[in-house]
Amino acid sequence: MANEAAARETLFALREQIARLEGKNLPAMAAAKMEDFAVRANGGERLPFNIPSLDAALNGGLLLDSLTEIRSGSFYDAGAASGFILSLVGLMKARKSAKGPMLWIADAFTACETGVPYAGGVKPFGIDPQAIFHASPRRLEDALWLAEAALESKAFIATIFEIHGNPKSFGLIESRRLNLRAKAAGRPLLLLRHAGSEEASSASFRMSVEPAPALERRLADGSVLGGSIGHPVFNITLEKSKNPAPLSFRLEWNLHDRQFHLARDPNKSALRKWPAHSGTSLSVSADRQDRPKALGSVMAFEKAS
Amino acid sequence: MYPDIDVFDEDVRADFALLEAIADWCDRYTPLVALDGRDGLFLDITGCTHLFGGEDVMLRDVLARLRQMGFDVRGSISNTPGLSSAASRFGRGGVIAREDMVSALSALPVHALRIDEATIASLCKLGLKRVANLMSMPRAPLARRFGAQLLLRLDQALGANEEAISPRRPVASLSAERQLGEPIQTQEDILGLTTEIASSLKQSLERRGVGGRGFELVLFRVDGRVVRISAGASRPLRDPKRISGLFSERLDAIHDDLDAGFGFELLRLNVVQHDVFDALQRDFAGEEGRETSLSDFIDRVSARFGAHCLQVYEQRQSHIPERAEILLPAIAALERRPDTGTSLQFLPRTDRPLRLLRNPEPVEAFAALVPDGPPQQFRWRHVMHIVTRAEGPERIAPEWWLDDEKAKERDYFRLESELGRLFWVFRLGRYGDDPPPSWCIHGVFA
Repeated sequence: MANEAAARETLFALREQIARLEGKNLPAMAAAKMEDFAVRANGGERLPFNIPSLDAALNGGLLLDSLTEIRSGSFYDAGAASGFILSLVGLMKARKSAKGPMLWIADAFTACETGVPYAGGVKPFGIDPQAIFHASPRRLEDALWLAEAALESKAFIATIFEIHGNPKSFGLIESRRLNLRAKAAGRPLLLLRHAGSEEASSASFRMSVEPAPALERRLADGSVLGGSIGHPVFNITLEKSKNPAPLSFRLEWNLHDRQFHLARDPNKSALRKWPAHSGTSLSVSADRQDRPKALGSVMAFEKAS
Repeated sequence: MYPDIDVFDEDVRADFALLEAIADWCDRYTPLVALDGRDGLFLDITGCTHLFGGEDVMLRDVLARLRQMGFDVRGSISNTPGLSSAASRFGRGGVIAREDMVSALSALPVHALRIDEATIASLCKLGLKRVANLMSMPRAPLARRFGAQLLLRLDQALGANEEAISPRRPVASLSAERQLGEPIQTQEDILGLTTEIASSLKQSLERRGVGGRGFELVLFRVDGRVVRISAGASRPLRDPKRISGLFSERLDAIHDDLDAGFGFELLRLNVVQHDVFDALQRDFAGEEGRETSLSDFIDRVSARFGAHCLQVYEQRQSHIPERAEILLPAIAALERRPDTGTSLQFLPRTDRPLRLLRNPEPVEAFAALVPDGPPQQFRWRHVMHIVTRAEGPERIAPEWWLDDEKAKERDYFRLESELGRLFWVFRLGRYGDDPPPSWCIHGVFA
């Protein structure tokens, strides 16, 4: 009898350990037994988006003490991916009233391809450029060391770790190690993977980001300014979460409210091919004859430029 | 005559490097080491002799050690650099007491006075071959005939005129060292000993009310090589653990380059740069803890990867995007003054890109609306982007006081492509000018 109890105790301890590693809620029985620990497992801080469907898919929001991966498909989408990751930090600053510096561990190749973060562009996201530390390690090994040391120091409210592609030296082991580090420190580590494909990792969530046409600027009286480019809009696909099927959302990050909204379906003007034209388009003729066809055959195209 | 002899050209640079290496080695006796010509060293041992058991013992120790290394050396200790140089090059060397200075110098030839060849030649022609001959002559005619240099050197050698030697390295404001009976080789031993030396420095730092910001660890190897490792800190430091922590990162980084050989026999820790140490009182909220952990992180990174690895943004007074902000090493900028608002008026009122390209890249723009409209499509890095919407232009005039007066102005546009990508593109120059304007991309938006 006593033997069995001891075995169960060991089993619970092991389950507990697994749950802690995976950041899961404990099974009900174990949770009842180890109430103090259950508080900790559930109490892992989460960052809700305040969008019910998205928050439900995320179990209440992004985990603020683990590794979260943001992925983009190509370097042309680097702006959108960087923007989304910074809006997450901005959201965290607004919601959790977190104060303190942020670390951006840059990737040298990405810096050559799509430039470095620009303070003037980061500022509208609600992040003071003076509080950004920009690290530019030469090798990936150095970057890993930096990320680990940054989490260990607990000095930064968020650490952004930028890589490109799917490098061999950043695999499951490294991501697991960083995730554990983040758990121990209780600080978020945001992995920004440019031009990479899906890969098994220990990240608690993985999202892929694509840019989407921005909505038009809203004016004070509620109308929109035609042809203008408003707040950034992202197409988010939840690739790894507790949700079985990948979910897609179109989110607009409101730079003024520091809040995400579900973006309306883009109206036609956003998909129009040419710059906005102020004139009204003519109605299609219904009961008259068609336009006369152009005479002859095309000899030469018009000048393109 | 000597068929076995090997003939080499003189390698002045290698000789000099060797002399420098010996000078480095001599740092163990005094921080004030200066070069004397091509083959001599001055050591200012004022106040150091008692550490080595007196002048006699010290001189013997220096010469014996250098002879063991295979050098043929002479040395002399006296009150003036001039006399020491003269006695070691032309005399018997040894220690010359104050009362023996005149007699020691007078016996030497005039060559010992470090004067130029022509003066020596004319002195010899007149039969003034020894310094004693000069000393017995009236000063005024000597000065008239041979110039002030001769008497200056004579006075300097006798101590009537002060002569300063110029040390090779700046003298550390504080320094502590540890001589070892048994040489050490491993990194752990070096770090452990550094902590001990740093704790002996702590009191002196406290007494002065300062903390060190730049440190130098000097390792003297058994065979005479000297290794210097420097490390900086973002805040003044006193804590021995944190000081040796700086070197732990540094030693990790240079691990392969540090050749311990048969071990190090002497370790010295210099405080090269210091600053006022503001004692921080711990508050209840623990805010101070984060501050120190941040500076600790900065120090670790800077020691390991160099100061330029970790940087912070600094706003500049310019409207040109790439000049409006620069990156500064975090280690130097941690204690910068808060923004006084002078750069506020330069803050752009329009949108700036999230990522700025290091250099604007040329793009091929098609069907641009003349004279000041956006392009309808453009090609960047072989990919055609079709523009659906555009905002702009925002004109930024060149800074003629920095650029050429003929520098062209830029008209910036935000261009949204079909897929929703947002680019920052500018036109350099105007239509109608010769050469026609060119288009460049400078950044991407979110």
